[in-house]
Amino acid sequence: MLLLINSISLVQFKNYPQRNFSFSSRIVGISGPNGTGKTNLLDAIYYLCFTKSYFTRSDSFNALTGTNGFRIEGQLEHNGENYKAVCILRETGKKEFMLNGNAYERFSHHIGRFPCVFIAPDDVRMITEGSEERRRFIDAILSQLDPEYLQRLMNYNKLLLQRNSYLKSVSENRLKDTSLLEVYDEQLSNDGSYIFEKRKSFMDECLGLVTGFYGKISGAAENIELKYESQLHKLDFAELLKSTRDRDLYLQRTTAGIHKDDIQILLNNQPFRNIASQGQRKSLLFALKLSEFEMLRSHKGFAPILLLDDVFEKLDESRMHNLLSWVCLDNDGQIFITDTHQQRIKEHLETLGALYQLIEL
Amino acid sequence: MQFSSSLLEDAVNEFARLPGIGKKTALRLVLHLVKQDAALVQSFGETVLKMRQEIKFCQRCCNISDADVCSICSNSMRRHEMVCVVENIRDVIAIESTQQYNGTYHVLGGIISPLDGVGPDQLNIELLINRVQKENVQELIFALNPTIQGDTTIYYIQKKLQPHSINITTIARGIAFGGELEYADEMTLARSLQNRVPVERFVNY
Repeated sequence: MLLLINSISLVQFKNYPQRNFSFSSRIVGISGPNGTGKTNLLDAIYYLCFTKSYFTRSDSFNALTGTNGFRIEGQLEHNGENYKAVCILRETGKKEFMLNGNAYERFSHHIGRFPCVFIAPDDVRMITEGSEERRRFIDAILSQLDPEYLQRLMNYNKLLLQRNSYLKSVSENRLKDTSLLEVYDEQLSNDGSYIFEKRKSFMDECLGLVTGFYGKISGAAENIELKYESQLHKLDFAELLKSTRDRDLYLQRTTAGIHKDDIQILLNNQPFRNIASQGQRKSLLFALKLSEFEMLRSHKGFAPILLLDDVFEKLDESRMHNLLSWVCLDNDGQIFITDTHQQRIKEHLETLGALYQLIEL
Repeated sequence: MQFSSSLLEDAVNEFARLPGIGKKTALRLVLHLVKQDAALVQSFGETVLKMRQEIKFCQRCCNISDADVCSICSNSMRRHEMVCVVENIRDVIAIESTQQYNGTYHVLGGIISPLDGVGPDQLNIELLINRVQKENVQELIFALNPTIQGDTTIYYIQKKLQPHSINITTIARGIAFGGELEYADEMTLARSLQNRVPVERFVNY
């Protein structure tokens, strides 16, 4: 059932004019000084799983400076079958994604086929910043597990844009007849209610995992709580939109709905964001990400690819060891780890006693 | 592009404004016209001009027409109690080519998409509602693209027509003819299963 990536070849991708890598082991360490392309290599792997970058929204930023297109080709293996995944950004800006030579008409159909979890230092903004990052976290997981969720989420977002644009035109043109709003409300509640139910049951499942991992990593008896905040707990979607109709018309945007959802994180009953230390934030980040990993594993029946970027910088020796032994030994999926110090990563992997491959950039 | 004649240049620029025509294609077309007999080109120009000046939109269904009422609406052999609602004139031509439809049409002139600046008021929706009120329309068939905007348009018109007891249907959505199941996307396939058809109806078709 194992999912493995055996090799990858990059053309004009970020800092790589042309380069091939082959991965011979389940555990792959990547070392090299700053700016040599460690993260870029991980991002290329992420591209093959998600058809897009983990970091930038615009594909054209990922082409080598001075060029306009790129190509990523990877050989993957799953269930004993081989797959060739190719992602091409043409010079015209058009992106193509092919699996075994067949081009996808919709990239969303590929997402979830090769599940993958990326942990990067910047992800800590998921805890410290606005609710959008946390919704993105939930959506990324659910989209990989449930294609219908992804489809409905995309529908919802399109409808939201249309509704907001309509709200603007109502006030600009002083329209009297707002019956089109009722249509949008119905369409939004149809997709929105599905998303809400999925998120709710997801959060119930997630809570236990996160507290478990947090305890394991921090080794401390801290009481972590996650609460799914949504206006839909109190009202159903149609009623909710009805109740905010006047305010929406006044503000010219949709002020209620699942696009306002959030996860509230509490540490010993106080907002985590306000009182947590750097170390606690990092422990929580790993707990959230490993829960994502675990959930994908249990729903898919096999371990996703795990991409760990620069994790050594962030945790002390013993926490690092706890984390590595869990991801490398208690889990049978493929892992990529980057570090600037070749010696340090080597020692860590050596003490685990598992087979590994070290790539030096 | 450098031109030796400003007459040529103007003509090329005009052609290049047409959809799907670039400068080079425009030049090829213009040079072709230059080689033609002057009389032929004159009739070409006059036909185009006459078309634009004299063309009308049917007052009833907004289809393109030579007279105030189009040939489909004025045809007494067609079933006037049945109206097929389409986005544009190209859709009328597509449905007419099936030779399976014997009702009339209503051309909306677009679909509701406030993002593109198209609200219900920009479309021929009022006209359709008037038509339903005045004429003896029994069935409205929506033949719009299966997109979110298409659905919005259908729901909107349906809501507007709620006081009237008419049959409102949409064309079937599902697996295309000659398509293979394994290549159909999940949503289409799921929809096809949900709206499956009894075999008797399928065979008698």
